[in-house]
Formats: sequence, C-alpha cells, structure tokens
Amino acid sequence: MSGHSSASVARTGDNPFLKLVAGLSTLAGWTSAAMIVAAVGITCQMIFVRFVLNGSTIWQTEAVIYLVIAATLIGLSYVQRLRGHVNVDLFPLILKPGARRWMAMFTLTISSVIIGIMVFHGYEFWHLAWDRGWRSDTVWGVRLWIPYLALPVGLGLLLLQLIADLIAVALRIDAPFGLEDH
Amino acid sequence: MDPLILGALVAVATILVLFSGVSVAIGLLIVSAGFLIVFDGMRSLELMPEILFGKLDNFALLSIPMFIIMGASIASTRAGADLYEALERWLTRVPGGLVISNLGACALFAAMSGSSPATCAAIGKMGIPEMRKRGYPDGVAAGSIAAGGTLGILIPPSVTMIVYGIATETSIGRLFLAGVFPGLLLVTLFMAWSLYSTWKVGDRALLSPVTYSWKQRLEVLPRVLPFLLIIVGVLYAMYGGIATPSETAAVGALLCLVIAMIIYKLWNPKDLWVVLRDSTKESVMILFIIAAAGVFSYMLSSLFITQSIAEWIGTLEVNRWVLMAVINVFLLVAGFFLPPVAVILMAAPILLPIITTAGFDPIWFAVILTINMEIGLISPPVGLNLYVINGIAPDIPLKTILKGSLPFVGCMVLAIILLCLFPGIATWLPNMVMGSAI
Repeated sequence: MSGHSSASVARTGDNPFLKLVAGLSTLAGWTSAAMIVAAVGITCQMIFVRFVLNGSTIWQTEAVIYLVIAATLIGLSYVQRLRGHVNVDLFPLILKPGARRWMAMFTLTISSVIIGIMVFHGYEFWHLAWDRGWRSDTVWGVRLWIPYLALPVGLGLLLLQLIADLIAVALRIDAPFGLEDH
Repeated sequence: MDPLILGALVAVATILVLFSGVSVAIGLLIVSAGFLIVFDGMRSLELMPEILFGKLDNFALLSIPMFIIMGASIASTRAGADLYEALERWLTRVPGGLVISNLGACALFAAMSGSSPATCAAIGKMGIPEMRKRGYPDGVAAGSIAAGGTLGILIPPSVTMIVYGIATETSIGRLFLAGVFPGLLLVTLFMAWSLYSTWKVGDRALLSPVTYSWKQRLEVLPRVLPFLLIIVGVLYAMYGGIATPSETAAVGALLCLVIAMIIYKLWNPKDLWVVLRDSTKESVMILFIIAAAGVFSYMLSSLFITQSIAEWIGTLEVNRWVLMAVINVFLLVAGFFLPPVAVILMAAPILLPIITTAGFDPIWFAVILTINMEIGLISPPVGLNLYVINGIAPDIPLKTILKGSLPFVGCMVLAIILLCLFPGIATWLPNMVMGSAI
C-alpha cells in the first residue's frame, strides 16, 4: 500500500513528448548519481588532506553540501519517473479503476501546480542571487547563484515529469498510480 | 482562528492529502502551501523554495546518501548470504540452530546497511529457503526474517536515527550508540521467541546442531571479514573523534564499493549503475521528504500550531507515562501507514517540546520512536518488510507471514515496556562513551 511503487518505471508508449521527458529525467538521474559519487570522492579527499597531510581544507565541506543539495533537486524528476517517491495509495486502492484514473489526474494536476509555484519562486530566488552577486560568507565565498540554480532546474524537470505522467494517465498510456487493474 | 483548532485541521488535511496517493514530499508541500495561502497570504509562498534549499543545507545530511551507498553496495552482492553462511557455520554449537544464525546475521547486516528492507532481503533470500528446507514452520522462517530485518533502522548506522538527529538537532553519534543495547535486547527477545516456537512444534531435530569441518568454517571468512572490519573501522573513526558521522560514512561507502568490486567482482558497469541508481533513488526520496518536511514545520510554527500544542499539553496535567502511552499509540498508528522517515520528520517538531517538557530524554525517546516504526514495518496495512518477504518467498501466503510476524510485534512491545522501566538500556552506552548529555 505504501512504499516505492516497486512495479515499473513510468511508461512512455510511442508518444514523442513522453519519450523526450523520460530521456531528460534519465539524464538528470545520471547527473544526480554522478554528483553523489563526486561528494563521496571530495569527502574522502578532505579527510586525506586533513588527517594524512595535516593540511587545512577550504572549499570541500561547502562543495559537498551543495553537491548533495543539487543531487537531490536534480534527481527529483528521475525518481519520479522510477516511481521512487514514497506514497500511501490507500484511497486509490479502494477506488474503482475509472475513479482511480480521475484521482490520479487530480493528484498529478495539484502536484504540478504546487511544483509550478515552487519553480516560479525558485527562479526568482535564483535570479535575486544572480542579480545582486550574492556570495556565501565563507573563505571560499562561492557565488550563490551556482548552487541556487539547482532549484529552478531540478524543480522544473520534476514539473515536466509530473506533466508527462499526467498526460500518460490521461491518454491511457500508463496505469494510474502504477496500479494495474486486476 | 485558535491555533489548536487550526492544528486539528492541518492534521485532517494532511491525512486526507497523503492517503490520496500523492507522494509524501509533494503532499507535505501541498498542505503547507494551502494553509500558508489561507492564513498567511500568497506572499508567504515566496519563501518556500528558500526554506526547501535551507533545510538541505546541512553537512550532516551527507551521511544519508553515504550510508545508503554503503548498504546498497553490500546488498547488491552475495555478502548477505555469505554472512549468513559464516554465522551458521560458526554458531553451529549454539543451541537453536539455523534460526539463531539468521537473526544474528540480520543484526550484523543491520550494522552494515542501516535499512530494514535491505536487511530483510539480503538475509531472507538465503535464510528463508534454508530454514524451510530443514523443516522450520513457514511462519517462523518468514516471521523471524521480517522481524530481524527491522533491526536495520535501530542498530547503527541507522538512516532513521540520522533523520531524527537532524530533525531534533540531537547528536547523531549519541543516537547511534543509544540503539546498540536496545538492538541487542530485541535480537535476544526475537531469538527466545523463535526457539520457543520451534520447540513448541515438537521437532527437536531442528534445534540440534549440524556439524561443519574447520575447513568449511574458515573458507567463508575471507569474504565477510573485510565488511566486518569496515564496520569496526567506521565505528572507531566516529567514536575515536577522528571524523564526523558524515565523513566516516563517505569513507565507509567508498571502501564498501571497492571491496564489493574486488571480492564480489562488481566490475560490470551495469551492476555498478544498479547500486548507484538504487542509492540515488532512495537518497533523493528521503532528502526530498526532509526538505518538504522543513517547509511543513515552518508552516506549523509560523501559524503558532507547534507552540500552542506544546503549551496545551503542558496544561493538561496528565501523568507523564500516560502521555508517553498516548504518544506511543499515535506513533504506532502513524507507523502503520507512513514510512518511518516521514513519521519522524512530521512528528518530531511537535513531539520534541512535549517530551522534553515532560522530562523525557530525547535520545531515549529516539529509541522508543524507532521501535514503534519497526512495528509498523511488520504490521498491516503497510508493513514494507512483509512485502519484501512476500517477494522472496512468494509461495508463503501473506497471511502466514503476518501470523509469523505478530509474536515478534509482541517482543517489540515488551522491549518498549522494558525501555520505559529501565531507560538506561538506551542511555547508558552514549553517556558512558560520550559523557553525560547535560
């Protein structure tokens, strides 16, 4: 009833838009995984510098934090495509297939609206950092528009995947909530 | 509007939204946005992305993907099966036979992975068929692994404990230590029940040991020792003051990946991608819930709901143990429906002021909360571990798995009672190693 719908990835059929979004989400997934691997590498390098070379570290901690944030935000659409965002499908299981389809379209629409709002304000936040040349108040002093870019990009990709999921359910290419009729 | 009534409205709205099948993280954002718009105006939405980003801006969070990679790289190999075999061969003289080895393997695997379903799958794949082959009742075979798997979130490293530590700003190192003895207590209780139930069916042959030669015992060691050394190394680095949990987790992740590549020949890029993909999927899912729960708790406190509930509970003048019982029932019910991470993130900001005001130790409470979540993992309707077992042994009916797991739920309730009577089971070790918290 809950958990990551282990079943399958979101289906695309022959629809070119769905295929394009699926491709983008997969690319985002690879990027996200690469960022996590980079975070592992940088953390290990930081420990090596600090404890073996007895040196001081300047940029590593901040870089790792921003990498993990970016990995999370950029990876959202891929995890959505894999149906990896945990949910509780109590109502969908109770509903008959027809009603379940409407329910899926309703929840996907609401989800798209809220993520759309987040994309808009996320973009504004990023733009503010870009416009005013904000920098982090650390020795490294990274330009904050770089990490903040993950907000509009990651949430934007998630929005695209949510819209694709909505279209797939509306066109009956994919089963609502990934639940097949039995 | 009275913040308490508002709080009740938020609770009802959250339940309805989450049960609609929307993902937990987006559901929390929907509820937060809805209440912020109605009671705080549209402008409050401007802050949401900033809060989302800010909640993730924390070095401690790095330990989540790192420990997940550590667990995933071990789980993707035969390490679980090898660990199980090693224990079976070495513990052969311990009365109780196979079921004891299985539970021991679950506890050890839990110490490597930090995830309950992963522990369940890794040990169950080998353990359940073997126990059934030797004639253990299906209920005992399935139930013991389902319950043993739940130890993943209690025995350190535990992703659930990290999330609790971040949500409540308590020391993750201390939380990890607090899980050790309660974890061992649970294993002991699980073992006692398994022995009793096997003995009850009357087949004494099951309890008698199978003998292994020294050669058989030694040949399995090279494959499991490196992983055990990593666990010891990670714990030493963390508690020897060498590195933070996040840093040790990163080194642990790298070492586990390298060892999985060397010993289990995890060279194929496709196999490596599976480890990375699964780790990314789980990490992103958890981190997104953490970020969304941050927005949710911002909404709760900006509408004065958190503060009002804590104040209201303070004026109730109920016995603190009655309060604890009520909190336990609440957590138990929440755990039946929601994944542990979501329950902790939603409940912690509200419950923490209540439990500290009532004079409970937040570290001790983390253990109580985690055991409640463990019960949720083997209880219907969600019971993630039950479905993992169902996937491993599809011919055991879900009803039998459930029936086999129920006595273990009893063991967990007993453990909660023992922890209430003797809080030192959880607090002694962290206080001993890291000094008293206050």
